[in-house]
Amino acid sequence: MTECPICGAEIAFAQGTVVGELLECADCGSELEVTGLDPAAVTEAPETEEDWGE
Amino acid sequence: MKVGLLHSLIRKEEKLLLEEFQVRGVDLTMIDDRNLIFDLESAPDVDVILERSINHSRSMYGLRLLEAAGIHCINAAEVAKICGDKILTSVALKEADVRQPPVRIAFTEESALKAIEELGYPVVLKPAVGSWGRLLSKVNDRESAEAILEHKALLGSYHHSIFYIQKFVEKKGRDIRSFVVGDKCIAAIYRSSEHWITNTARGAVASGCEVDSKIAEISLAAADAVGGGVLAVDLFETSEGLYVNEVNYTMEFRNSIQTTGVNIPAHVVDFVLSQQP
Repeated sequence: MTECPICGAEIAFAQGTVVGELLECADCGSELEVTGLDPAAVTEAPETEEDWGE
Repeated sequence: MKVGLLHSLIRKEEKLLLEEFQVRGVDLTMIDDRNLIFDLESAPDVDVILERSINHSRSMYGLRLLEAAGIHCINAAEVAKICGDKILTSVALKEADVRQPPVRIAFTEESALKAIEELGYPVVLKPAVGSWGRLLSKVNDRESAEAILEHKALLGSYHHSIFYIQKFVEKKGRDIRSFVVGDKCIAAIYRSSEHWITNTARGAVASGCEVDSKIAEISLAAADAVGGGVLAVDLFETSEGLYVNEVNYTMEFRNSIQTTGVNIPAHVVDFVLSQQP
């Protein structure tokens, strides 16, 4: 369990969550990146860059 | 065989691929491109790498550096270089006689305007490097052309002064995305939108599309033209047949599994595991 760095809501990881995974905060809708599993940690996901894509 | 996954953010697609590797008992080595340091000698201890980075520039250079270290990469660095650049893609399609919409490439505002007028309105201006439908401009008349060309030239990056101009194709609200894995076209979807841009990243809706012989033939030809591998091919339906619009090398498929009933990540993983170390 950790908390959203934007709104402070509790964030619980589903089973099988991996570092680098993108999550959405259920309370504020912010996109978050998982940065640690034990202890659980998230940060705001990076902004889209010009060369992102397929 | 030791398999690595080159990645940055883990999106829905990467998660589905991880699950398929796990099902097959593969102990995957995760390689986050944000942590990589290349010294031109050492390399991760893997036999094959599946590339899933979100940045084109990191993919292109990362794959080349990994290949130089002797690692087999899917897709190959050359494939990433070609598919990540619409000009190189158009050249590859032309060289392989694969149909595509008429295009012009110009390097100055003046020559670009001349090329647009020769092609005839409307046209679409695209960044040579870009994805998800970003910075596409549909140009309907000369006044718009002059304004957009000036804006692009002043954007500050030299990339935007390389003008890729494509004849606008009336696609009746949809295009086709097909998925190629190795020598098979495994699935296809229609992408429908009221907007002229039909990327699902821009809100287009996916629906099932049967892979008939025409779709399979041009998709495989396009994939082969850029070097082959795991690729998504965007097709326009026209009165003259199918045209290839783009070929994508780090394909997204989250909206296409249920739609097509095809387990796309399973096909990708099986293809990776079929490679000879």
